[in-house]
Amino acid sequence: MNKLSEILTSASVSAESAGTLAELEQVKVAYLGKKGQLTQLLKTLGSLSSEERPKVGAEINKAKQSLSTLIEQKKSDLNEQLINEKLASETIDITLPGRARQKGQLHPVTQTLERISTLFTQIGFSVAQGPEIEDDFHNFSALNIPDHHPARAMHDTFYVDKAGWGDKADYVLRTHTSPVQIRVLESSEPPIRVICPGRVYRCDSDVTHTPMFHQVEGLVVDRGINFSHLKGVVDQFLKSFFEADVPVRFRPSYFPFTEPSAEVDIQCTHCKGEGCRICSQTGWLEVMGCGMVHPNVFEQVNINTKDYSGFAFGMGVERLAMLRYGVNDLRLFFENDYKFLRQFNQ
Amino acid sequence: MIISESWLREWVSPDITTQTIADTLTMAGLEVDSVQYLGDSFSGVVVGEIVDIAPHPDADKLKVCQVMGHENSPIQVVCGAPNAREGIKVPFATVGAKLPNDIKIKKAKLRGVQSLGMLCGAVELGFEAVDDGLWELNADAEVGQSLIDYLALNDALIDVDLTPNRSDCLSILGIAHELGALTESNVSKINIEPLAYDIQHSPTVNIEATTACPRYCAQIFSELLQQAETPLWLSERLRRSGLAVRHPVVDITNYVMLELGQPMHAFDADKVTGGITVRFARSGEDIHLLNDQLVKLDERSLIIADESGPIALAGIMGGKSTAVSDDTKRIILESAYFAPEFIAGKARQFGLHTDSSHRFERGVDYNLPEQALARAGRLISEVCGAKVGPICAQTTRALPSPMTVELHFENVERQLGCRISASLCQSILERLQFSVLKRDDKMISLSVPSSRFDITIEADLIEEIARVYGYNNIPSKPLPANLTVPEHQESVKSLLSIKQLLVAKGYSEVITYSFVDPEIQALISPNEHAVDVLNPISNDLSQMRMSLLPGLLTSALHNIKRQQSRVALFESGLTFVVKSGKLLQNPTVAGLLYGARFNESWNLPKDDIDFYDIKAHVESLFSEDVLNFEVFQHPALHPGQSAAIIKGSKMIGVLGALHPSLVKALGLIKVPYVFELDQAQLLNRDLARASVVPKFPEVRRDVAVVIDQSIPVGDLIERLKSSVGSELVNVNVFDIYQGKGVDPERKSVALGLTFQDKTRTLTEEEINTLLNQCIDLLKSSFSADLR
Repeated sequence: MNKLSEILTSASVSAESAGTLAELEQVKVAYLGKKGQLTQLLKTLGSLSSEERPKVGAEINKAKQSLSTLIEQKKSDLNEQLINEKLASETIDITLPGRARQKGQLHPVTQTLERISTLFTQIGFSVAQGPEIEDDFHNFSALNIPDHHPARAMHDTFYVDKAGWGDKADYVLRTHTSPVQIRVLESSEPPIRVICPGRVYRCDSDVTHTPMFHQVEGLVVDRGINFSHLKGVVDQFLKSFFEADVPVRFRPSYFPFTEPSAEVDIQCTHCKGEGCRICSQTGWLEVMGCGMVHPNVFEQVNINTKDYSGFAFGMGVERLAMLRYGVNDLRLFFENDYKFLRQFNQ
Repeated sequence: MIISESWLREWVSPDITTQTIADTLTMAGLEVDSVQYLGDSFSGVVVGEIVDIAPHPDADKLKVCQVMGHENSPIQVVCGAPNAREGIKVPFATVGAKLPNDIKIKKAKLRGVQSLGMLCGAVELGFEAVDDGLWELNADAEVGQSLIDYLALNDALIDVDLTPNRSDCLSILGIAHELGALTESNVSKINIEPLAYDIQHSPTVNIEATTACPRYCAQIFSELLQQAETPLWLSERLRRSGLAVRHPVVDITNYVMLELGQPMHAFDADKVTGGITVRFARSGEDIHLLNDQLVKLDERSLIIADESGPIALAGIMGGKSTAVSDDTKRIILESAYFAPEFIAGKARQFGLHTDSSHRFERGVDYNLPEQALARAGRLISEVCGAKVGPICAQTTRALPSPMTVELHFENVERQLGCRISASLCQSILERLQFSVLKRDDKMISLSVPSSRFDITIEADLIEEIARVYGYNNIPSKPLPANLTVPEHQESVKSLLSIKQLLVAKGYSEVITYSFVDPEIQALISPNEHAVDVLNPISNDLSQMRMSLLPGLLTSALHNIKRQQSRVALFESGLTFVVKSGKLLQNPTVAGLLYGARFNESWNLPKDDIDFYDIKAHVESLFSEDVLNFEVFQHPALHPGQSAAIIKGSKMIGVLGALHPSLVKALGLIKVPYVFELDQAQLLNRDLARASVVPKFPEVRRDVAVVIDQSIPVGDLIERLKSSVGSELVNVNVFDIYQGKGVDPERKSVALGLTFQDKTRTLTEEEINTLLNQCIDLLKSSFSADLR
């Protein structure tokens, strides 16, 4: 039996000292293989007495089992070691920047326009577009702004040359997107809920004016529409747009195409109504104009004012974007400097 | 319109603060832009008198003045005003004085001469004034008196930004009526008895333009005192309202205009020949106006004429020949009603805008002229000691009569969405000087005040009720839903989705002006007809863009100059082109790539983008394989590196490298690549149609052929696809080689051909047959050699 324990000891030592899976396999073959020492030892059982045989047989089997376990354990250790070595060798510097990470961004005016459109389309408004070189009728007359009306002086209008095209009408760069509303009224029947986003032009250029900017105007025409609905829509829109329960006030004003007309102020987002440079110390910021559609406008597009009423509203997109994102210079929107545009890469 | 509070309170004086007056007006639609408290805006300023004046030893434009007014001895002040001279009394800001805009007066040395204070003009004290010299105070001003006391500056200036409909508020009286209605306060009545006349002489007036001038009143004043001076209280009110002091008679007409709203004009009666006629000008007539402008009149110009011809542009400006001057002894004072439609636009036609035209084109109370004349007459008589003639008042049948408008009470709620009682409606309108003609349960009939040109229909009355009731007292209600599911075309992509694709590809969206520099445009679209802006902001923004490329190039240049090594931009918007007599406003999308393919990085190549980068970007905007590209000549693009983008049989855009001469003209080092696409064609797709996914294996065979350099590889692919059977499902170009081993006139093209049958697995034999078919085709059609 000493032999058995000698074999087991030397087998264990060999297994423990195996440095690779191949060496370990050799140990396994040398002791447990068909011609292995322990296997050979089993073959000697025949020479033993019938009393000894079961006892010795059991001992050899036990030794085989323990060696087998030892080898399996060692194999698992070696495997793990191998994986660890592989992992160590494959470790990279994860702080290096990723490859070709370049994406652009939508212009902040587009982002604001989209936000406005999203809010209105969710309550059933559709989006309409129209020409930017517009005839005098759609830009002015149909909106109750006849020739020489002092209200025309409110709009510093760009006129365009009709050489080679055009008809008797004067053509202008539209001064607002209201002409699109006229086109919608001409081509569709109430109920109408529409917003008209787009570029508009005024002949004015200084620190707070650019000759081109963007507006979104909205129009609702249906039975039973009144001023309280206008207030509701505008108030809800502004609170939603600014994501704040911001105080909103309606101030009487004048637009030829609406009556009653209102300017809409929100409490200054900068000073919370205390009065600051941004709100000229008034605590309020003018953000929109609106009103009930003037009967003369409905008359121009043959909508019966006995059955239908409606409201319209309009806002300057750059103005809202400036307040929302804290942009302090209107002209930045049209310089298109990467350093500015990148700030909207959210 | 700037309102002096103390003047306003002479007419209506509610027991509220200045700020509350401002807020009340603002919330009723008369937006107050600012409130300026005069007494607060400066301190330490006294009435000073220049007692001695000498030239500055070292500066031509400066003078050294000795000024009395502070302490009891003359104080030395250096002054640069051209009108500084001995004997005049002027505002004197002493050392320690505070002026508007945070200016503090300190001891100073100007070019080496000590100056202990400052002599001021009206502007420096925060007043609006035309004159920028020293403010010359009246000779009777008490030297040393605080200027605040002297000017009675315990007053506030309320600047009201009036909307064009409220011409009735272009006066102190008008604002007073409004404030009276809003605060339910009593407003003083204009109670001016015309003066008893002491001369018999009255002007002869003949109204020929009876529709344009329904009322014309005139009165003669004679024996005007030559040395008459405008009293301080009056000149001070003019100054606070932003008007300059000129001549007592002119100042008085301006004063009455500010107070009552009636523009008036004074003619020097000794320079008027014969009677006055109100008529339209005859062609060929012209007039030399007060502002020295010579205006050529036409048959639509309403004028005041005497026997010699035009002496005033009615309601706009008087003529030079009959202007009142220091020598004037007799005047004819005019107070008229000109119908707005005959004045509107006329001032602008001559490049003019006057306080008078501003009022007449918006509408002046047609019952006001005589009252205004009485008011002015009294002042002229007091100030100038003049003798007064009888008023000559002429009216025509065109004089408006009060407008009657009906209000149906139910319409108030219908329009506003809240109940306002009939009695409150009536009370509001009465406060606004409407008079009730008739009333029953359902409606009220009202007579509109003669000053209100903006009230003609019921909606106008409802607006009046709403604004006095207070917009903020009207509830906010959600929009009632009357919704239908809209039509929606799945095959039309949204522009936003295209923009987002470009953003994901690294493009930044820009927004550029729709008007561009014609010079740049001429380089890009030389053969097309643009629309010019008639009144551009500047020459470089004077033509509507025919392409989005000028804007993209300008934006790219801006960024390239700011050290951006890689620029990728796109824009969407309209382009404006005239074609066969028609203006086309085309929705367009365009992009530009410039510089490095990748932002510099440790693991990326440093090469620049080329044609195939931008081509891939264009291709990825469309569904696979719908586009074809054809060689195309575009004046702005490199002739060998530009392509027409074809969808179906239609050209929908271009792409390519910018033409080398343009690259040079723009001063660029590298070549920008651009594309421009028709937006509608970009957004219109076919609806997806599913077909069976083949179950049988694909087989790929590669083949390399050598062909002439000039043959486009696209032609090979097209020919293979159109001529070989449907089993050829894909052709992929995986290598192009020119160089060693290949004839320099030719190129080697390696193609990966993929074969598949939808119904079964292809046999080796079949595949070889197909492959040979392909090779034969390439050989016969393109003289290709197998490599």
